[in-house]
Amino acid sequence: MSITTEPTAIDPGPRQTAVGSGSRLVRRLGIGRFSGIYVWALLIVLFAVLVPETFLTASTVRSIGANSAVTSLVALALIVPVACGLFDLSVAAILGIAAVLVLDLQARGLSAGIAVLLTLVAGAVIGAFNGFLVVKVGIDSFIATLGMSSVLAAGAFAVTNGNQLVAQVPSTFVTLGQGTLLGLPRPVWYAVAVAAVLYYVTERTTAGRYMYAIGGNIEASRLVGIRVDRVRFASLVTSGVLGALAGIVLAAQLGASSADIGPAYLLPAFSAVLLGATQIKGNGRANVLGTLVAVVLLATGIFGLQLAGAPIFISGLFNGVALILAVSLALRANRQAA
Amino acid sequence: MSSPDLRGGTAGNGGATPALDVRSASKTFGSIRVLHDVDLTLAAGELRALVGENGSGKSTLVKILAGYHMPDEGTRIAVGGREVAPHHAGVSETAGLRFVHQDLALVGALSSVENLGLGRGYGNGRMRPLAWSRLRREAREAIGELGYHFDVDRPVATLGASERTALAVARAVSPHTSTARVLVLDEPTANLPGPEVEQLFGLVRRVRDAGIAVLFISHHLNEVFDLAESVSVLRGGEHVATRPVAELDETSLIELMVGHSVERHAGRRPSAAAATVLSAQRLSGGSVQRLDLDVAAGEIVGIAGITGSGREAVASLMFGAEPAAGTVTVNGSPIPPGRPDASIAAGMGLVPAERATKAVMLGHDVAENLSISRPKDFVRRGSMRRRLEYQAAAGWLEKLDVRPREPRMPLAALSGGNAQKVILARWLRLQPKVLVLDEPTQGVDVGAKEDIHQRIEEAAGQGCAVVVCSTDNEELARLCGRVIVLGRGLETAQLAAPISADDITAACLADTRERSPREHHH
Ligand SMILES: Nc1ncnc2c1ncn2[C@@H]1O[C@H](COP(=O)(O)OP(=O)(O)OP(=O)(O)O)[C@@H](O)[C@H]1O
Ligand SMILES: [Mg+2]
Repeated sequence: MSITTEPTAIDPGPRQTAVGSGSRLVRRLGIGRFSGIYVWALLIVLFAVLVPETFLTASTVRSIGANSAVTSLVALALIVPVACGLFDLSVAAILGIAAVLVLDLQARGLSAGIAVLLTLVAGAVIGAFNGFLVVKVGIDSFIATLGMSSVLAAGAFAVTNGNQLVAQVPSTFVTLGQGTLLGLPRPVWYAVAVAAVLYYVTERTTAGRYMYAIGGNIEASRLVGIRVDRVRFASLVTSGVLGALAGIVLAAQLGASSADIGPAYLLPAFSAVLLGATQIKGNGRANVLGTLVAVVLLATGIFGLQLAGAPIFISGLFNGVALILAVSLALRANRQAA
Repeated sequence: MSSPDLRGGTAGNGGATPALDVRSASKTFGSIRVLHDVDLTLAAGELRALVGENGSGKSTLVKILAGYHMPDEGTRIAVGGREVAPHHAGVSETAGLRFVHQDLALVGALSSVENLGLGRGYGNGRMRPLAWSRLRREAREAIGELGYHFDVDRPVATLGASERTALAVARAVSPHTSTARVLVLDEPTANLPGPEVEQLFGLVRRVRDAGIAVLFISHHLNEVFDLAESVSVLRGGEHVATRPVAELDETSLIELMVGHSVERHAGRRPSAAAATVLSAQRLSGGSVQRLDLDVAAGEIVGIAGITGSGREAVASLMFGAEPAAGTVTVNGSPIPPGRPDASIAAGMGLVPAERATKAVMLGHDVAENLSISRPKDFVRRGSMRRRLEYQAAAGWLEKLDVRPREPRMPLAALSGGNAQKVILARWLRLQPKVLVLDEPTQGVDVGAKEDIHQRIEEAAGQGCAVVVCSTDNEELARLCGRVIVLGRGLETAQLAAPISADDITAACLADTRERSPREHHH
């Protein structure tokens, strides 16, 4: 899969298994590539039967949308470094510190616009620092960003003194997160906009091609003239900015935030990206459409289960299982890449 | 198809249990059958060559034996008379099969010592500490037996191609927990210069003398005649013949491989009167010291030398892949070392020798591997067009006769020789001013080799300056108007056309004979 941090291993190529008529059918239907969509449809039918009065409503659509918007943004942020073969474990912590920073700056009297801008810049700076550690110093991205996320968590506590921040801010900021547009919560539209841009960049530009090439074989990429250091650095800056954007949207959505808000977003986002890598294109690369399918799938499942009376810890369980399942699927898809 | 069970060269062993007995081996990928009821029988102590064009199924057969591919139903494999169903590497290992795979299957981040223990353990209990000093000594002995003396603690990724080959061979033949019965070598010589091939053959013969059956795959037919007693030929996934080598000559063997008669072209000598395009002055780095070299437009210059001579470092230095001392200029403008992007912008292209680690993106499709050298060619109105990419790729696959001609196929599914053609096409596509080729025809069959040589000449004919570093002296003799022979990092001879492969071999060896260690450094 393209998320290895060990580019030096000499990969002996995909391992083949016997292809019976059963798995040929699977391939014909694209069940592998579109399994997410099938499972999603199945979940909808399931919950429509289990909890018909509450599940099949417009408010369900709104809730799932609102719940998955921020997760989508974090997952989209992750796609960029993952495509380049890097992990950014700090992206959720960036979200966390951005969510408190944007409120704190406004509490200090800055306008919403300036506060948002400064917070995005802060995200870029943190991403640049990650990039420096990974690209210049040469620390494994997994380790560097793990360390960074701990530093950022401490930073978020320092900003809030451990208190909950409630927005005493111009209502313009809060309506940015809480209104609806064309029937859907605004955050959903932000996620859609970011997804559209990212889709274009990853699928339609040479920059996207370079990212995936680096994820595929970094030394070969360097030798075909790709400025691998630049691309890798830029990918971490991008995830920093998008992580900060997710934090801003979250703060606006909640009208409040606290220092420990970030970490909970890491696992769902990673699950979505890895599960998404097995979807739509089915070539094991982190991709935008697959990721969105995965986010919505996970959000629908969790929301439906909660409606059906499942306990609150179900979401952790669901995301964890999805992550493991995603990686298993990716490995299997890799074996059958032919 | 049915094939006569000829055990060429081993008539005396008629009644004994074969060391390896493969019956109707078949393999289907998706809907494509790449191996068709292949029968193969090897007696103990038999040295058999396996030949066939690129994509004829040789590596697939090997990977089935190794438990890497699951064969189709009906395939039966017996080792030493015992039926085995290799479904993972451990099973074939225990049955007594040993492999040197085409891609060597080494772990780049681990040292030689560590790689030697992979798959067979380190000679102590699972949870016991490793006896490092003993392991190191054994590793040095194992590679020493092949005539190599490199640092066994270095990560394998930093070793040269032939050093890695030696390591993979050493790993296969060194003692394991089960008795070895069959040794399979998939193109072990693709990256080895002549003298080292001889060393390897010495070792292979000793293995054979110990009663182990050897299956040896190579595109170098002279090696087949040197080493093997008998040869099996695959064509399009079918077993077409097994003959004692004594009954064949090179031409008849080639005809068996391709299924029709062939004519081989003699090289056209490019004229070298044109202006200098590529120029290196006092270029030093790796094992190369102060190399001066001018290459004119349309000229093809060869670099020869045994391992350690500096030959293996020249390509990456010329191209500017790594930081180096000295200067390289293209059309007079200097190329900053360590900046491949700048080299490429100046019109250079590099085909590296280590295909798996330095050239291909295995999981990406063939078209992507081709277009990555300049993806912006396929941008129209701000957006990359897959359709244009596939079209262009299909054209190149046709031009270089890559099989199958399917640009959407993942590169990992191509046979070694076909993958090599794709990497070459990646650069030919850009019509470069300078092409630096390191082992350009490694793993390529005779017919395809001629194709590639013609492409290289064609590029030169259009004014490209070409540097070919190769351990294949036939190839250098065929292509080059001039060959530089290196020894101990320095130029020791320059040969001008007409050159024969023997001249080059002699020049390479002359150097090793005349200089004793620690002798003069200019
Ligand atoms: N994983 C795969 N999926 C689909 N086709 C494959 C796969 N691996 C190999 N093939 C196809 O099987 C055929 C035989 O390949 P194989 O690697 O055995 O050839 P080979 O004889 O070893 O050639 P070479 O001399 O070039 O190494 C080729 O057409 C190749 O494209
Ligand atoms: Mg092969």
